[in-house]
Amino acid sequence: MKINIAKYYPLIPVYAVYLTMFLVGFFVPGLWQLVALLAFYCALGQSWNIFMGMTGYVDFGYVTFIALGTYGMALGITYFSQFAGLGIAIIFIGLLLALFLSTLSALLEAGIALRLRGAYFAIACIGINEGLRHLIEGAKIWGGSEGMLYWKELTEVFGTETAIQLTTLWADIAVFIIAVIAAFINVYYMRSKIGYALTAIREDEDAAKVMGINTTKYKTIAFLTSGWLGALVGAMAWGLKLTHVFPADVFVIHYTVECIVIVVLGGIGTLLGPLVGGLIYGLSKYWLAIILPGFQLLIFAPIIICIIIAFPEGVIGVVKRRVKGTRLERYIL
Amino acid sequence: MILELLAGNLIHGLLLGCVYGLSTMGLSLIFGVLKVINVGHGPFIMVGAFVTLAMVTIFGTAPPVAIPAALVVGMALGFAFFYTVMRRLIKAPEFTTLLVTFAIGILLQEVVKFTFGAEYRGYNWEVGKIILTITTIPMTKVYASIGSIIIALLLYLWFNKTRTGTAVRAVVEDSEGARVCGVNVDRIYALSFAIAIGLTVMSGVFLTMFIPVGINPYMGGVYTLKAFVIAVLGGLTSPYGAFFAGLIFGLIENGAYVLFAQIPGVAPFSLTVSLAFWMLFLLLLIKPTGLLGAK
Repeated sequence: MKINIAKYYPLIPVYAVYLTMFLVGFFVPGLWQLVALLAFYCALGQSWNIFMGMTGYVDFGYVTFIALGTYGMALGITYFSQFAGLGIAIIFIGLLLALFLSTLSALLEAGIALRLRGAYFAIACIGINEGLRHLIEGAKIWGGSEGMLYWKELTEVFGTETAIQLTTLWADIAVFIIAVIAAFINVYYMRSKIGYALTAIREDEDAAKVMGINTTKYKTIAFLTSGWLGALVGAMAWGLKLTHVFPADVFVIHYTVECIVIVVLGGIGTLLGPLVGGLIYGLSKYWLAIILPGFQLLIFAPIIICIIIAFPEGVIGVVKRRVKGTRLERYIL
Repeated sequence: MILELLAGNLIHGLLLGCVYGLSTMGLSLIFGVLKVINVGHGPFIMVGAFVTLAMVTIFGTAPPVAIPAALVVGMALGFAFFYTVMRRLIKAPEFTTLLVTFAIGILLQEVVKFTFGAEYRGYNWEVGKIILTITTIPMTKVYASIGSIIIALLLYLWFNKTRTGTAVRAVVEDSEGARVCGVNVDRIYALSFAIAIGLTVMSGVFLTMFIPVGINPYMGGVYTLKAFVIAVLGGLTSPYGAFFAGLIFGLIENGAYVLFAQIPGVAPFSLTVSLAFWMLFLLLLIKPTGLLGAK
């Protein structure tokens, strides 16, 4: 089988940006936290783009996956730290649990919500998010609203030195790796049968169905992939990094909205879009928090409204139109 | 014993249900006319609560006096947001309308926080109570429910007995058809949006009469979510469906709370909220057009 390398050209600018970010964060002192935040936003944007960008379905409850990923990591560290000799394996067990929980919830959502369209889908997704949060709080599952704290367990297994390194360095590096994987999956899907099927669904689902596309199958594939990546980001950026989880902190729709803002700013359904959007959003949020602490949202909300009305196709959408027909075209997706 | 408790709570649920119903009518009206889900629904309820608070604490009036003020504020906000923002988004893809309405909600929250501060507030309004054998009902709650019913009835009359109301129904049914028949659809869009926001802000006044404490800029979120459940229960496009669904929701919420409180070792309040959403899925699974939906 011949691999068509040309279809992966658009990855070059993406990986160049990631590499630059990584090197800047690693070698310029004091910038690591900012770079980690940006990587977090870019990774989330790209994970979210796989489903929403390609199908046009608005998963307003996307944060459910991030939250369940966080819980997966929390459970892995809390319960498997008792078994001596597992060592670093508990982190991987945490990741597996994150994948497991997100798969369960993705299948549940796919079963209920993916049969619905438009408004009903968005409402169902919000509903699943809130239903889970209040079920955890109400039935006192996994500590209920008191949440889980597992810094102690982490230090018992790894010792303080390694635990600090894990939470402050390796968790962020893992987010970078997830972002790299998410970018690859984005391109892979866009340039394969899956991507074409999803685009057909976005343009006209009924027509796609009539043409013989198994819409449910492709929607579920994209939904699961998007959910898994979200869960991995959650497990690393929240679960391992913060070493605590509270339902009221993680099942927050604001994070879904952040994902949407990032993707829309950059350009929906594009590869570079979530990256550009993540950088713009992360940087401006960071600077606003420094310049005008407490007023970020007051300033952000009207700006977002204006941008969406004026440039619904996003930065990359505009750039893509500009470079059409030039030699740059094959690098911009 | 538990039956008495249940009966008492169901009475409260029925009263609260009227207010829930009113608070959701706006959401249904906007979805019916503009085909937009107002994700920033709750913050408008919060605005109503702050209108009441301002009237009571600054002007020293009784809370019901705030109702006309709330209608004026709500309709002004509705027209303002419609002509600046919503007008441009009528045929736009879903993510833009969801994002924009959410951003409007955040904007309202932040403006209110900037003006009034983020702390929890409340007011006091004592007008006696009805004492029954099973429960005690403050008169404020009774007034709030009666007020909600009256406003819902007025809306019903407006919808069915006036030309403009008929035009709104025509637009809900088929906006292109209505345009062909000579209805000024753009004006109907603006008017329905403003009325819907006015209703929502007014329901905020009644909600504070029900629960006069805990007024703060972020109180709206939970009502957005409840309104979603109620709106789907009522068929999403029908304001009256929403009103009756509100009654059902109030009954279920208050009834379930009593039952969950009997289970040891759980947090009944959260479980009740959770139940509402599991109910929503079940409904979406079985009958997405809503319990009271026509089709």
